[in-house]
Amino acid sequence: MAALGGGGTRWRRAWLPALQLLRRGSKAVTRHWKAMHFQRQKLLALTEYVSPRPAVPPRCLPRRSPQEPQEDGYARVLRRQAEQTLRDSRMVAVCHYNPMAEEDVATLRHYLRRHNIHLKFVLNEVMRPVLAQSKFRELLPLFVCRNVLLVSPEAPAREMLRVLKGVPHVTLLGACIDDTILSRRGVENFSRLPSLEVSQGQTVAALSLLSSQTSSLLQRGPAHLTALLDEHIRRLQGTGGAPETPPGH
Amino acid sequence: PAGPGGVAVPRAGLKKLALPPDYSGITMPEKPKLKFMDKVPAVPKVQREPRQLRDIRGPSQEATDFTQGQYGILALGGGYLHFGHFEMIRLTIARCMDPKSMFAVWRVPAPYKPVTRKSLGHRMGGGKGPVDHFVTAVKSGRLVVEVGGRCEFGEVRPFLARVAQKLPFPAIPVSRESLREMRREEEEKRLNNQNPWTFERVVASNMLGMRKYLSPYDLRLKGRYWGKFFLKHRV
Repeated sequence: MAALGGGGTRWRRAWLPALQLLRRGSKAVTRHWKAMHFQRQKLLALTEYVSPRPAVPPRCLPRRSPQEPQEDGYARVLRRQAEQTLRDSRMVAVCHYNPMAEEDVATLRHYLRRHNIHLKFVLNEVMRPVLAQSKFRELLPLFVCRNVLLVSPEAPAREMLRVLKGVPHVTLLGACIDDTILSRRGVENFSRLPSLEVSQGQTVAALSLLSSQTSSLLQRGPAHLTALLDEHIRRLQGTGGAPETPPGH
Repeated sequence: PAGPGGVAVPRAGLKKLALPPDYSGITMPEKPKLKFMDKVPAVPKVQREPRQLRDIRGPSQEATDFTQGQYGILALGGGYLHFGHFEMIRLTIARCMDPKSMFAVWRVPAPYKPVTRKSLGHRMGGGKGPVDHFVTAVKSGRLVVEVGGRCEFGEVRPFLARVAQKLPFPAIPVSRESLREMRREEEEKRLNNQNPWTFERVVASNMLGMRKYLSPYDLRLKGRYWGKFFLKHRV
């Protein structure tokens, strides 16, 4: 411009490239994707994200096993019930259960209830920790498939076997009666045992047998002597005369 | 699990019952549905405003976090919402949500910015055109609507995604947890980036004279924004 260009100092008009760049092209914010300057594209390509690469790839490291799921409240309740049942009952019989009709299960339950045996369906994952901590550790291998527990405060083994004989779906695996672990055969033998009163009487008789024998043992000598003397008397009486009784020493 | 004889025994375990979700701290507002937003403000501006596209550019400073609801639509780019968008959002959400158990809240104001248009078929010149309609400016990272109530994210996500797809900028349905997760991941990426050259480092120290080709706004935007677009993949 003539007005600006004159005067003493001639000052060069500064050429700012940023201002020049602004004069051409669209505004900063456009509806379309504005084409980037190549230098900017190079800068963006240079400054891209580089993810960290561990020295050992994670797939070579041992895989963490999935954590134990949290303790379920329902499982805790079931476990507590199972512990109580085991504590209260004198007889615990473990049976394998094959699926049968609902009414058959109800009939079986009814027959067992008559002899005060309770039928309990148990879940293995609930029973296993209970058994491991109680005295029934030996029964752990029995809890594999669907199981059923027959628990009773007394021990009616004979009635239980009779009922189970009529039900082919339920198979007796083992039992724990009065803190004694019995197999199937053991339960059968146990059922053949006489009842408590009879066995008590037999024990008393066996114990008193010795004492009853003692008195007879002590009297055997004199009894033998008496018998001999009687015999002698009889012989003497047979020959005739009444001799004085010989001194008995 | 192998049984006797090596045969696999199928086993049904105890059913793990999950607790129902806890909605104790949620208060429903009186009007659960979205308020009607006017097309034109009550006092329309007569003075025509310059375009000011900087209200689209860059990250948002307001409405970036949840206030009342648990789920919302997050804008991942800048844009203008006009009355048509507002109606679409309002009606779709009203149709898809259950007013007894859910509520929705606007996080953007009603259209306030006048947009002018010249009449069709006229040449350039003759001054600025008259005001045609009003719009709301939305920047990236802003929540558009918030939805809350006795509902899960899975129930709300389908219709929020449908609404988000129809908006003029890219948007996604988010929940409080997913937003927190997104922010945490961004932060983690920023921290464990193995590249020693970052955009902000280059720009701040003007390496190689890069500022000649970049805008002074790039100091603040750090290469994550370009115009109205938000570059999600950039760190």
